[in-house]
Amino acid sequence: MRAWDWSGFFGYLFNGYLLAGALTTLWLTIVAIVGGLLAGSVLTLLRLSGHRWLALVAQGYIWVFRGTPLLVQLIVIYTGLPQFGIRLSVIESAVLGLVLNEAAYLAEIIRSGILGVPTGQSKAARALGMSSSQVMLHIVLPQAVRIVIPALGNSINGLLKTTSLTSVISMEELLRRTQLLIQEKFLVLELFTVAGLYYLAMTSLWDVAQRRIERRFGRAYNVEIVGEAR
Amino acid sequence: MNASTTTSSVLRAGLLLAAAASTVCEPLDAQTCKPTVPGSELVKPGSLVMATNPTLPPMQFVDSSGELQGMRIILGKEIARRLCLQPEYVRIEFSAMIPGLRSGRWDVINTGLFWNPERARIMLLVPYESQAVSVSVPKGNPLKVSSAEDLAGRSVGVELGGFEEKALRTMNASLTDRGMRAITIRIFDNFATAYQALSAGQLDAVVAIDSTAEEYAKKGRFDRPLHGLYPAPVAFGMKSKALSEMIVKVLNEMLKDGSYAKLMNDYGLLANTEPFSIKAPPD
Repeated sequence: MRAWDWSGFFGYLFNGYLLAGALTTLWLTIVAIVGGLLAGSVLTLLRLSGHRWLALVAQGYIWVFRGTPLLVQLIVIYTGLPQFGIRLSVIESAVLGLVLNEAAYLAEIIRSGILGVPTGQSKAARALGMSSSQVMLHIVLPQAVRIVIPALGNSINGLLKTTSLTSVISMEELLRRTQLLIQEKFLVLELFTVAGLYYLAMTSLWDVAQRRIERRFGRAYNVEIVGEAR
Repeated sequence: MNASTTTSSVLRAGLLLAAAASTVCEPLDAQTCKPTVPGSELVKPGSLVMATNPTLPPMQFVDSSGELQGMRIILGKEIARRLCLQPEYVRIEFSAMIPGLRSGRWDVINTGLFWNPERARIMLLVPYESQAVSVSVPKGNPLKVSSAEDLAGRSVGVELGGFEEKALRTMNASLTDRGMRAITIRIFDNFATAYQALSAGQLDAVVAIDSTAEEYAKKGRFDRPLHGLYPAPVAFGMKSKALSEMIVKVLNEMLKDGSYAKLMNDYGLLANTEPFSIKAPPD
């Protein structure tokens, strides 16, 4: 029984196969968040559209996709849909599952942002003669973005790790490649630590991006962001 | 939506379940029977704690009442009985087994561990069974698979981390070395998902150990055109030398009284006829 193996640790830290797995995790996250934001915005618009049936459809979607495990959704997409003649590849199934799932969560985050903008803002804009779409585009959305960012940050952090669930349908992302490499020399702790560091690096990248976005959208408020050195 | 929390809570729930469901079995003779393995050599004195991943019918699986069943489960219980120890099973994913053995969470890995030199270097392995791999295809064998060569350029599923995955990679290498098209290897968490993907038409074949492929063939949804490929010894994995030696002794007793051969025959497995021993790596 061996203790910690430093040479093994560094060997895997710069392993190209693992790095490629980390890139898969990264692009899966980016595609899922972008797709999720687009689909989530549509869901939010439906919910706030004022049409009862459209709102119900959006609500039903969110109910199903937030209420069932992503693992189940992935297996249904990959192995259930072919029975209805829809055969998606592993990558297509993984992306679709992540986007559909993320859209449901992001729709709620976007809605909270829009509802968080005081109604006085849109009333004042209407009084100035803006149309309702102008109010949404120029007054409500820019302020909603500011409110949404911290919650979105949580989502992205979670999503980076959630992508590992796609390995259930044989997607080779970071965590699956870590498990595959473990069999080579059984350096379990060393490899999981390397994987942990990769995840930490990716979440740190987002932290930097988030701070920049927060500063950009917080300009009008002239408030110091807590924890930020000036 | 945090995968790591989900996994750890599932593991915890699994451990609790295993603890609750660990079968209480009477030792050989409560009055005269004294454990021959010192308590200091065991994770839990008086008990033989074994790790198993019950996803491989008929070798190890959970029946509809949630009880562990299968040839390896029975053999493990019998060994514990003959050692005057209470058998206890922990149900856990394969990936956690070797670290758990090292850190003293269980005494024995009893999950159909294939013997190989890498594994023999990090734990003590006692081979007791022989297994080979089969190729499973959808019912009716639509691609008319009759040799490994027929899998060139096809999509084949397998479980993560086992001997089966190695066998599939060896098979793939033997094809590409001869200039044939590579197999698209798809790795799944367990065979249940791999077979599900096969029945959904997402895969052309699945590579599994003979007994599992036979079991799936018996259920009628799959054919098994190839079997007996890459035969290899299956072992128990231990950390304690004293415990390993006692397990070898018990297995040899079972060899002598015929109970070992009977169990192997019951499951259609080739019984070992040589005395058992700890099989060390070649160097």
